[in-house]
Amino acid sequence: MSKYTEEDLEQELKTKEYEYGFYTDIESDTFAKGLNEDVVRAISKKKNEPKWMTDWRVEAFRVWEKMEEPDWANVNYPKPDFQELAYYSAPKVKPKLDSLDEVDPDLLETFKKLGISLEEQKRLANVAVDIVIDSVSVATTFKKTLGEKGIIFMPISEAIQEHPELVKKYLGTVVPTSDNFYAALNSAVFSDGSFCYIPKGVRCPMELSTYFRINEGGTGQFERTLVVADKGSYVSYLEGCTAPSRDENQLHAAVVELIALDDSEIKYSTVQNWYPGDAEGKGGVFNFVTKRAICETNAKVSWTQVETGSAVTWKYPSCILKGNNSVGEFYSIAVTNHYQQADTGTKMIHLGKNTKSTIISKGISAGKSQNSYRGLVHVGARAENARNFSQCDSLLMGNACGAHTFPYIEAKNKSAQIEHEATTSKIGEDQLFYCNQRGIDTEKAIALIVNGFSKEVLNKLPMEFAVEAQKLLEISLEGSVG
Amino acid sequence: MLKINNLHASIDDKSILKGLNIEVKAGEVHAIMGPNGAGKSTLANIVAGKEEYDVTEGVIELNGEDISELAPEERAHNGVFLSFQYPVEIPGVSVTNFIKTAINETRKAKGLEDMPAKDMLKMIREKSELLEIDRKFLSRSLNEGFSGGEKKRNEIFQMAMLEPKLAILDETDSGLDIDALRIVANGVNKLKSKDNAVIVITHYQRLLEYIVPDFVHVLHDGKIVKTGDASLALELEAKGYDWIKKEVNS
Amino acid sequence: MELKEKIVSSYLAFENDVDINSEIHDIRTEAFHNFEKLGFPTKKLEAWKYTSLNSVLKNDFSIFPNKENAIEFADVKKYFIHDIDTYKVVFIDGKYSSFLSDTTHDGKDVCLMSSALSKSKYKAVIENYFNKIAKQDNLTSLNTAFANEGAYIYIPKNVEVEKPIQIINFTTGNDAATMVQPRNLIVVEENAHVQIIERHQSLTENAVLTNVVTEIFSAKNSTVDYYKIQNDKDNASLVDNTYIEQKTNSVVSVHTFSFGGNITRNNLNFYQRGEHIDSILKGITIIEGKQHVDHHTLVHHIEPNCESHQDYKGIFDARSTGVFNGKVIVDKEAQKTNAYQQNNNVLISDKATINAKPQLEIFADDVKCSHGCTIGQLDEDALFYMQQRGIPKKEGKALLMYAFANTVLESVKIPEVKQRINKLIATKLGVNIGFDL
Ligand SMILES: Nc1ncnc2c1ncn2[C@@H]1O[C@H](COP(=O)(O)OP(=O)(O)OP(=O)(O)O)[C@@H](O)[C@H]1O
Ligand SMILES: [Mg+2]
Repeated sequence: MSKYTEEDLEQELKTKEYEYGFYTDIESDTFAKGLNEDVVRAISKKKNEPKWMTDWRVEAFRVWEKMEEPDWANVNYPKPDFQELAYYSAPKVKPKLDSLDEVDPDLLETFKKLGISLEEQKRLANVAVDIVIDSVSVATTFKKTLGEKGIIFMPISEAIQEHPELVKKYLGTVVPTSDNFYAALNSAVFSDGSFCYIPKGVRCPMELSTYFRINEGGTGQFERTLVVADKGSYVSYLEGCTAPSRDENQLHAAVVELIALDDSEIKYSTVQNWYPGDAEGKGGVFNFVTKRAICETNAKVSWTQVETGSAVTWKYPSCILKGNNSVGEFYSIAVTNHYQQADTGTKMIHLGKNTKSTIISKGISAGKSQNSYRGLVHVGARAENARNFSQCDSLLMGNACGAHTFPYIEAKNKSAQIEHEATTSKIGEDQLFYCNQRGIDTEKAIALIVNGFSKEVLNKLPMEFAVEAQKLLEISLEGSVG
Repeated sequence: MLKINNLHASIDDKSILKGLNIEVKAGEVHAIMGPNGAGKSTLANIVAGKEEYDVTEGVIELNGEDISELAPEERAHNGVFLSFQYPVEIPGVSVTNFIKTAINETRKAKGLEDMPAKDMLKMIREKSELLEIDRKFLSRSLNEGFSGGEKKRNEIFQMAMLEPKLAILDETDSGLDIDALRIVANGVNKLKSKDNAVIVITHYQRLLEYIVPDFVHVLHDGKIVKTGDASLALELEAKGYDWIKKEVNS
Repeated sequence: MELKEKIVSSYLAFENDVDINSEIHDIRTEAFHNFEKLGFPTKKLEAWKYTSLNSVLKNDFSIFPNKENAIEFADVKKYFIHDIDTYKVVFIDGKYSSFLSDTTHDGKDVCLMSSALSKSKYKAVIENYFNKIAKQDNLTSLNTAFANEGAYIYIPKNVEVEKPIQIINFTTGNDAATMVQPRNLIVVEENAHVQIIERHQSLTENAVLTNVVTEIFSAKNSTVDYYKIQNDKDNASLVDNTYIEQKTNSVVSVHTFSFGGNITRNNLNFYQRGEHIDSILKGITIIEGKQHVDHHTLVHHIEPNCESHQDYKGIFDARSTGVFNGKVIVDKEAQKTNAYQQNNNVLISDKATINAKPQLEIFADDVKCSHGCTIGQLDEDALFYMQQRGIPKKEGKALLMYAFANTVLESVKIPEVKQRINKLIATKLGVNIGFDL
């Protein structure tokens, strides 16, 4: 959606309901509901996976079976019934894409509604898009340009076939199958996702971008993303998602693993606007995501996220700062409105010497929503001269919502320098009046002030994403002032 | 242009304006002076539409129309500009972004297209030169960390950008150094025409040397108690307010 | 026998000594069953994530020291603030010591919980206040189950108590490891004012576990200044559960000075039930060895226009561990709340650990809440500057640490307490300089 016209925006402003709430009627090949070892094997078989992969999934499933769903996050929701979900859904008409003409016309229509016309994209934006519709990748562009640099960017299902040695080497090394309930589940049943490898010393010439989208009702989305930046390389990766509106809650349990080898840098930006449910709190996506990066010597990983969607979000993009001088950053805006609940934050685990981390989190709560920051800064005993700066600001709108901050700070090294600050505020009446006096109406004024409040984070997003993110902020706060 | 008749206003049951009358015609400059707490800023805020105040009696007409039902932004769209005595800070929103939004919202209200970016930039350049404002300043967050004088200058810059019909300057001179005072006054004078009007609220005669008023009013205890020409300001500067208070009380 | 079983089985014996037909005993019995169900807290509980009592609970504590132990004033004088006149409520191994105490019923009651619980004269106050704000958690329940002795302080309307009150609990540990569970009740009526100093002190090297519960009720316009001096022996552990309810316009401040002991856990809870309340929570922690101090604070803003100020400073040497878990809750109705929380720590050894968890839970929009938490070192430039002016490094460091902690001392209102704390800090830092900066 990096191409996002003003007409689109106008359209959105007219319809206060979720603007991507349409349902693409593509014939889908969906598994019967329910989960057991056979289903896991069937998924693997369907995807033609090698034995090591099948075994890996089965092991993860066995671990998952013994685990209990966590309930420590500050969110309340009906626990999904994992036997009521279908674990595989792929468009039946599976196009081999040589040109866009071969794509299912309905699908193209969907893209249009999303504001991304691929031709446009190809021509105008310097962005390679790996579009994932209901779990299976159907369009990959720019593959060739990337190929010339030796960059691998493909659906992970293909990577398992074409680059098994790389996948095998790194998959599950940052987020082990046993890491947590949802990570285990994802490992067992993940349908597809993206794989990206940047060779030694290569600077990826364009932003890599993936669009996720949940299409089929009642299917869980289990994405698996693996990004490996080899020594001295650089990549900026964009992830965005939209989901059509639906009444029953849908589950999204993705796992993202980033591996930043010596001297490399990964920027990972997310704009998440899964369907948040309606104003009464009906429907909406459950978003339980495990995102983690490992940073080797001198490596740097930045997570930037704009979270405006989902009924329930549970997400902590983290950095393990293993190598000396490695750097981790987390910039986040989380907006909740109506009945949304977000429990999000980060973990910065300082293990190497001279490691540095920065956390900037901006939470905006409106309506009857609950917005929590939960973070951990851990400085290990051997992490000499570790530095952390954290800033968590909350903005409350109205009197029915809540903002919560739960930072955990653990230091075991005397040379650690950790600073944590948090503030809570509201939009001042005098600020609104000032804007009104200059001819700006209240709704617009709020958007302006919220944008200002979120500036430090918006600035971290790649340009085209930043514009979209600003619009999303505006849309998600609509109707929040009465 | 502006006609106020028998205005009574209060806040939390505390009565502040007690039957105020004033008429300002296009092309005129009015100065309002008066002791601290007399109700000058209150008057300015009420004209701009601040909702905190309860208007219990009286009418405010702008170009012959009662504006009491209009929202602050609608009044702004009709050409009312208030330079605040204490401009607020809006973190993260740059001056440029703010003024761009203000202009385009006003245009939108008038059924006009957004101002093309090119014109906007040109206008910003012109007006910032007029007010001798460093361009770097415009990319900073609105009023955040601005010095007292910078805030005031920024208010006049916005006025220049918005080209209002009726500008109310609430103590815009306080906090300005001597050079800035001249610059700001020049700016105001350049914008003055036979079609618009200015109300200057001030404590000091000095600003009035630059912006010469057609009328000087003394606001005391919620009422205009004396009106004169520019010489009244000089007299006040020399004698203070006591004699007026006495006159009123006798 | 495990400590929990031992405690459970001793409840019958305890019932022989108290009036089991009283209403109070119903409260005890309920609390007893609650503890029986919950047991001791483990690290699995979020509230005990960073503090384990396991090593302490292994001791074979004697729960009811039956022998009366006497001690000489001269031997324990140093534990009193003795250079000013004070009321004193002193206990030895959980039993009241009339010899060391100085109580009063003159226009106010500064006396014993055991008599307050049994005499009809106090019935109304006990009914209104006893166990009304104490939580139903593991250790508070345990204390409530055995609640019988402690300090009882009742300050009527408009009374400004003319001198501070000291509450001191000595444990002799003469025979064996000892567990004591004092229970204090402090009721300060409208417009009244009181200053209280609390201390727990063991006199031998035997292990001690003190599980104390204090309930404080601060009525309209009242003022309470409370000082906790924690400088116990290495083998003495303390779980301090303090619950404070404040009414309109009251000001309550609690200063906690933690310099000693084995494991110290301070659960300090404020409930603001009125407007224009000010709650002040301050603490200095300076520990070394394997000491462990855990400050667990809660300020619950229930009504509008109130303030809370938290300021905790910690200096950690050797293998010591500091924990700060501060929680501020602002209810929906509590508009215009101002809540501040600061926690600053210095680690001076490679083996020391600090875990901090400053939390905000905010449900009102028109509030000002902030928390800051830092972990850092002493300013090396300042240290060099001092050395350059001839102040030895050790003293220079001590001065810097003192300056670091000083924001907490500024609000101490009893000069003698301040002097005592200054002295304790100097001793703790191993220097011989006066800190009256
Ligand atoms: N929001 C408010 N709440 C309570 N009182 C107010 C409020 N606004 C104004 N007042 C009171 O109304 C009176 C008039 O205030 P106003 O600000 O209009 O005075 P002023 O003439 O502008 O004074 P100055 O010269 O000091 O700027 C003062 O007594 C002031 O305290
Ligand atoms: Mg004024």
